[in-house]
Amino acid sequence: MSVLSLHNISHAYFGRTVLDRVTLDVREGEIVALVGPSGCGKSTLIHIAARLIEAQRGRVASAYARHGMIFQEPRLMPWATAEDNIAYPLRLAGLGRHQRRARARHAADVVSLDRSDLGKYPVELSGGMRQRTAIARALVVEPDFVFFDEPFTALDVALKRQMQDLVIAAARQARFAGLFVTHDLAEAVRVSDRILVIDERVRGIAGERFIALPAGARDDAAVFATVQAYLKEDPLFAHIYDRDERLAS
Amino acid sequence: MTRFLLDRVGRLGRFLWSGWVGVAGLALFAAIWQQGHEAYGDFILPSPLTTLQATAELLRADETWRLAQATSARAIQGFLLTAVLGAVLGIAVGYSAAAMRLARPLLTIVMGVPPIAWIVLAMIWFGSSAGTVLTTTVVAAFPLVFANVAEAVAMRDRALEDMAKAFGAGPFQRLRTIVIRHVTGQYFPALAVALGSTFKVAVMAELLANIDGIGVALAMSRSNLDVAQSIAWVVIIVAVIFVVEYGVVQPVRAELERWREAARPWGVRR
Ligand SMILES: Nc1ncnc2c1ncn2[C@@H]1O[C@H](COP(=O)(O)OP(=O)(O)OP(=O)(O)O)[C@@H](O)[C@H]1O
Ligand SMILES: [Mg+2]
Repeated sequence: MSVLSLHNISHAYFGRTVLDRVTLDVREGEIVALVGPSGCGKSTLIHIAARLIEAQRGRVASAYARHGMIFQEPRLMPWATAEDNIAYPLRLAGLGRHQRRARARHAADVVSLDRSDLGKYPVELSGGMRQRTAIARALVVEPDFVFFDEPFTALDVALKRQMQDLVIAAARQARFAGLFVTHDLAEAVRVSDRILVIDERVRGIAGERFIALPAGARDDAAVFATVQAYLKEDPLFAHIYDRDERLAS
Repeated sequence: MTRFLLDRVGRLGRFLWSGWVGVAGLALFAAIWQQGHEAYGDFILPSPLTTLQATAELLRADETWRLAQATSARAIQGFLLTAVLGAVLGIAVGYSAAAMRLARPLLTIVMGVPPIAWIVLAMIWFGSSAGTVLTTTVVAAFPLVFANVAEAVAMRDRALEDMAKAFGAGPFQRLRTIVIRHVTGQYFPALAVALGSTFKVAVMAELLANIDGIGVALAMSRSNLDVAQSIAWVVIIVAVIFVVEYGVVQPVRAELERWREAARPWGVRR
């Protein structure tokens, strides 16, 4: 059963079409990665899917009960402590103070954010702790669907791995489905079940690949081999690092 | 709870401690004043001590308290009206780009007219009544508060709003939890400035429109050529502004802006 389906989505900015008749489905418990070069419309697509922007044409249907979202930047409220930031979605939902506190603390434990850091303001936290806070905020609602818009691009390699492991563990434990936008093919291979390649020239999805590796067997060597195989042998991935200013330097 | 109290006590302590610097500044000011006094004589500039005595004498009279209260009541009325109108209209206009564009030239005009001109107009419209003081104080202080709030709303953090939207916040919830918190950062500094100008303009309006209050008392001591008493009245006005600002405006601001305190590096705080 699909928990999220986009049907014939088209979107243009100032007359310039970015997405043209895009259709995609995410099944229950499945993590789908969206990869593609910079500026091809990945953020646009996930924002439409999360209903942050309205597509000009097409239909978004969702069957999940609650969703969370993690953005490229942490997007924490600077005036609220880490705990209040994590509890923010619960506050929107009208939960009482005690319940909010208990659930925020639990979510903080899940992302191994220290109790003593919960009373700090975002400016007092390190970059990694801020992103952990943002992840906890997405998980606190106990979502059955999570949107990830390049959540770890700004982090260094070691931290990035840690965060990926965290997401993988959380997904396995809470069994949520998700849409995961990323630049990094290795990241897509590590965390997702299926990769969709977005291409600027077709203004939509150029193709998809199921990841053959079982979730338990994705060690570094296997991930590296898969990525190399995709890049060298699979024409679908020929253009994903085109025009990629972030990797070109 | 104890930590909560300790936090506040600590803030008060830091504030009082920083008061010593203020005292040093005042002492320097008094020294220069004394120099001026010795150069120009008692009639042009009475010595700080004489002024202090005149102030003490004024403070002993019940009449002084009554006048100060009358002026404060009018000024605070104007200030509250400014605070409410500035916030409400500022938020409403800040949300609309078109209204912002419309409001900017209007503000330039309103802010360009000197307060004295407004006093004259208000006197024509309202005569020598409290309405004159209220009008001029609001007209003098409102544009600043309004412009700051509207600008802050227009410059609000869309990324945070999108975040709120992603977690299911409707427009009203976004206003309440994101926009208003963001706006307070500009609102309170603007209010602090507005507070000073409402008192100044209120006294000026009283003086010119002959409305019972510190303004009139000031005019009287001037016509009696009592310079020490004139300055004493000024001291009283400044004291009232100080009390309202540090008794009400700054504590509320500090409460809402605790996170900014956290952002400061340790060495700079004191
Ligand atoms: N608000 C906007 N107004 C105008 N054009 C936009 C807007 N947002 C995105 N675009 C344009 O749409 C195209 C797709 O943008 P989008 O942000 O979806 O790309 P992306 O795939 O997420 O890129 P990146 O990987 O760099 O984040 C880009 O060419 C961009 O210039
Ligand atoms: Mg993007």
